[in-house]
Amino acid sequence: MRLELADYLIILVYFIFVIGVGFLIKKKIKSSNDFLTSSRSIPLWITSLAFISANLGAQEVIGMVASGAKYGIMTVHFYWVGAIFAMVFLGVFMMPFYYGSRARSVPEYLSLRFDEKTRGLNAISFAVMTVFSSGISLYALAKLMETILHWDFDISIWVSAGIVMVYTFLGGLTSAVYNEVLQFFLIVLGLSPLVIISLHDAGGWDNIKALLQPEMTHAWKYMGNANDNPMGLHFMSLIFGLGFVMSFGYWCTDFLVVQRAMIARNMGDAQRTPIIAAIPKMAMPLIVVLPGLIAITLMQPALLSKGYRIPTTASGELDYTMTLPSMIAHYYPTGILGVGITALIASFMSGMAGNVTAFNSVFTFDIYQSYFVKNKSDRHYLLVGKGITVVGILISIATAYIAKSFNNINDFLQLVFGFVNGPLFATFLLGMFWKRTTGHGAFWGLVAGTAAAAATHGLTVAEGKGGWITEFYTIKSGMGQAFIVAGVSWIFNFFTTIIVSLCTKPKPDEELKGLVYSLTEKPKFHEQKWYLRVVPLGLVLLAITILLNILFF
Amino acid sequence: MYKKLNDLQFVIGLFFSVVSVILLLNVMLGTNVATKLNTLTGSGFLVFGLLMMFIRSRK
Repeated sequence: MRLELADYLIILVYFIFVIGVGFLIKKKIKSSNDFLTSSRSIPLWITSLAFISANLGAQEVIGMVASGAKYGIMTVHFYWVGAIFAMVFLGVFMMPFYYGSRARSVPEYLSLRFDEKTRGLNAISFAVMTVFSSGISLYALAKLMETILHWDFDISIWVSAGIVMVYTFLGGLTSAVYNEVLQFFLIVLGLSPLVIISLHDAGGWDNIKALLQPEMTHAWKYMGNANDNPMGLHFMSLIFGLGFVMSFGYWCTDFLVVQRAMIARNMGDAQRTPIIAAIPKMAMPLIVVLPGLIAITLMQPALLSKGYRIPTTASGELDYTMTLPSMIAHYYPTGILGVGITALIASFMSGMAGNVTAFNSVFTFDIYQSYFVKNKSDRHYLLVGKGITVVGILISIATAYIAKSFNNINDFLQLVFGFVNGPLFATFLLGMFWKRTTGHGAFWGLVAGTAAAAATHGLTVAEGKGGWITEFYTIKSGMGQAFIVAGVSWIFNFFTTIIVSLCTKPKPDEELKGLVYSLTEKPKFHEQKWYLRVVPLGLVLLAITILLNILFF
Repeated sequence: MYKKLNDLQFVIGLFFSVVSVILLLNVMLGTNVATKLNTLTGSGFLVFGLLMMFIRSRK
C-alpha cells in the first residue's frame, strides 16, 4: 500500500484538528474538575457518542472485522447479546447511583458504598489495566503502520503518542471526549464506502448467504451444539458468559465507558447516555462485522475473479487481523485511501486517549488524593492530573516497546485483565441492590473471584492456552474458555461476598442513602415525553435487539 | 469565528468539509482513473460537513 500527497494531506488535516481541539478546550480548563471530570457540563449527544467511541478502539474495529471473517455472523453476539442489554441496564438502574452519589469515579463510588480497601483494590487494578491497554493500543498502531505502510515503528509510536499527549494534556477529559466524537464520525463515514462497494462486489447479502456455509450466516441456529458452529460455543455459555458476566462487567463497571455518562449535565442525560449510545451500537455490525463476512465471501471460488484475498501468515494460515487493512488497500484509491488510513489511526488514538483520561482521573482522585497527599489546593490536583497524563503516556510508550520485545505480553495482559474484570459486576450488583453487603464482603469477594478466574484458567486448556496448573479439562475454543473463566469468577465473587457479608457488620441505612436501590429515591420522569424517559426508550431498544436476533437467527 | 470553533458540531463540519475539498481537488487535478469513489465520497462528506455547520449556525 502506497500513500500519495492527497492521502498524507488528509492525515495531516486530522492531526491538526485533534490538536486544535486541545488548544480550544485549554482556555476552559480552570480546575481539577474541569480537567478530570469536565465539571459535568457535556451535552447529551456528545456524551452518547463518546460513550460508544471510547469502546471503538482499534481492537474493536480491526478485531471485529477479523472475527467476522473467522466466525461469521456469530460475531454480532458481541453487540446484540454482549452490549445492548447491559447498556440499557446501566442507564435505567445503575446511573442513578453513579451520578446521584456525586462520585467522581467508579472507585470513589466503591469507597462511598463499601470502604477504602475495596476502592484501593479497584483503583490500582484499573489504573494498571488502563495504562497497559493504552500501551498495547499504541504497539498495535505502530505495528500495523509498519506492516501496511512501511512506516518506521519508532516514529509511529512517538508521533501518535505525542499527538494524544498534546490534546489530553491541554484539554483533559473534555478534549479527549470531543475528539472521540470526531473520531466516531471519521470511523463510521470513512469505512462506510468500503462496506458499500465491497458488498456490491460480493453480490449483496443474498449472494453471501448462498456462497458461505450456513453456520457463517446464522447467529443462533447452530448453537445448540458447540461442535456445530465456528466459535465452538453452546448457547448457554454464550448467554451466561458473554451476555451476562462479561457484558455487564464491562459496560456497567468499567470506568473508561461509565466516565462518559458521568460527565453529562444532569441525571436525566446521564441515564440517557448509554441508552442513546445503544442505537448506533446496535447498527455497528454493519461497519465492523459485515466487512469480515464480505472478505471471506470474496475468497469463495465463484468470486475469485474479484482478486481479493485475506493475507496469510508465514505459516500459510489466513491472517484475519489484516482483513480490514487489506480491504482498504484493495478497494480504496488515493484520496479516500487517506480517509481509510486516518480512520484506522483515529480508532487507535481514540482507544489510547480514553484509557489515558480514565487513568489520570483514577490516579489523581482515588490513589494520589486518597492515599498520598490529602487536603491540598485544587490547583495542586490540577497540576498532578496534568503531570500524570504525561506519565501515563510515557508508561504506555514503554509498554509498547515491551510488547514489541515480548509478543506474549499482549496475551498475558489481556488474560490478567480478564481475571480482574470478570468478577467485578457481582460486587456492584450486590452492592447496589442488597443493602446488607459489607465492605469486607466486597473486598474478599473480589479477591476470591480473581483467584477463581486464575485457577480456572490454570486448570483448563483451549487452543494450546491455559492449563498451567494441570490440563484438567479441554475446551474447544479460546473464546469459550474466556466465557467459562469469567462465569466461574463471577459465581465465586457472588457467593463469597454474600457469605462474608452475612458474617460482618453492615453500614447503617443512613450512610447508604443514594447508594443502594432500596434506600434511594427513584428519579421521576412523568413530566417528560415518553421518548425522553429511560424505561420506554430502553424497552423499545430491547425489542429491536430481540427482533434483530430473530431476523438473523 | 473563534466562538464558532468552540462548538464541536462546527469543528466536525469544518473537518469533513476540508477533507471533501481535498478529495474533490484530487479528482479534478489528478490523473487517477478511480475517481468515481472519491467524487461520491467527497460530495457526501461535503454535504455532511456543511449540514453540521448549518445546524450549528441555526441554533
